Amino acid sequence: MAPLKPGDKFPSDVVFDWVPIKNQDATLAGTPQDFNASSEWKGKRVVLVSVPGAFTPSCQAYHLPPYIDQLDKLKAKGVDQVAVIASNDGWVMSAWGKVNRVEGTDILFMGDTKSGFSKKHGWDAGMGDRNGRWAMVIDRDGTVKYADNEQDPTKVTVSGVEAVLSNL
Amino acid sequence: MAPLKVGDSFPDGVKFEWAPITDGDATACGIPQEYDASKEWKDKKVVLFSVPGAFTPGCQARHLPPYIEKLSEFKNKGVDVVATIASNDSWVMNAWGKVNGVKGDDILFLSDTKTFFSREHGWPAGMGDRNGRWAMVFDHGKVIYAENEPSPKDVSVSGAEAVLAKL
Repeated sequence: MAPLKPGDKFPSDVVFDWVPIKNQDATLAGTPQDFNASSEWKGKRVVLVSVPGAFTPSCQAYHLPPYIDQLDKLKAKGVDQVAVIASNDGWVMSAWGKVNRVEGTDILFMGDTKSGFSKKHGWDAGMGDRNGRWAMVIDRDGTVKYADNEQDPTKVTVSGVEAVLSNL
Repeated sequence: MAPLKVGDSFPDGVKFEWAPITDGDATACGIPQEYDASKEWKDKKVVLFSVPGAFTPGCQARHLPPYIEKLSEFKNKGVDVVATIASNDSWVMNAWGKVNGVKGDDILFLSDTKTFFSREHGWPAGMGDRNGRWAMVFDHGKVIYAENEPSPKDVSVSGAEAVLAKL
């Protein structure tokens, strides 16, 4: 399927693999549950970021930390939820959030292994099953407001927090 | 292929992906390289255990920690290398080692994404591409122990205690 573009509606069948962050100890594995994004994100303004892999150099060094650092700015611009997905499972994503000191549901770390959102409605990385590096903004009425993919998945430009902030 | 059994030779061409642990910070990513197990383990006594996934409940709670705690007992029994593998990539394996406080090459955290040792020479988990939960011991290129958990949720024959008892 073609990637979502601004003006499209967020699909109705989007489920992620979620292990909620309930403590800061990455050696305590949590319990996975389905996160039904299509229903959870109704009425919310959501920034959804996709990365090729948890704990990988570019995602860790340039992509994720600015989203953590500038979470307040995103909230100030009316963002209700920031979520990060990758093709890793929910356990790995949860651990990645913990070692980056994300608490609770400040930023959701989820595995895109349930409904293959990146493959079906976004972009893949062209490296095995890995997700591409991209960002989307979904508005409260369920309309996609921003959707852009890195041409080179080792770079962070259009999917970075600065680019997203300037499009809110 | 059939799983290795006691008396078999360790196969040629076994490679893992390895991002060595060079510091304790799981937010500092490692740099992956190829680990040629057939070559590295030729003249060594090696304990290799496979888990269905890094950071998962069974592996984390009951499988990995006893190996870390009993590492000196393994060394006392002449084990040169303790290594764990999973189908996660080497970055995830590196981070899993770090958050468990493993330093350097005390225990090698390797990714079984190169030559798929678990699928080719061990046991899969029967859950997607995940590795099974099993343990093997190699002594100078010969298999001296190889056992797979009947239920990958349990840790018995692949646990540190069971392996130590066979050394």
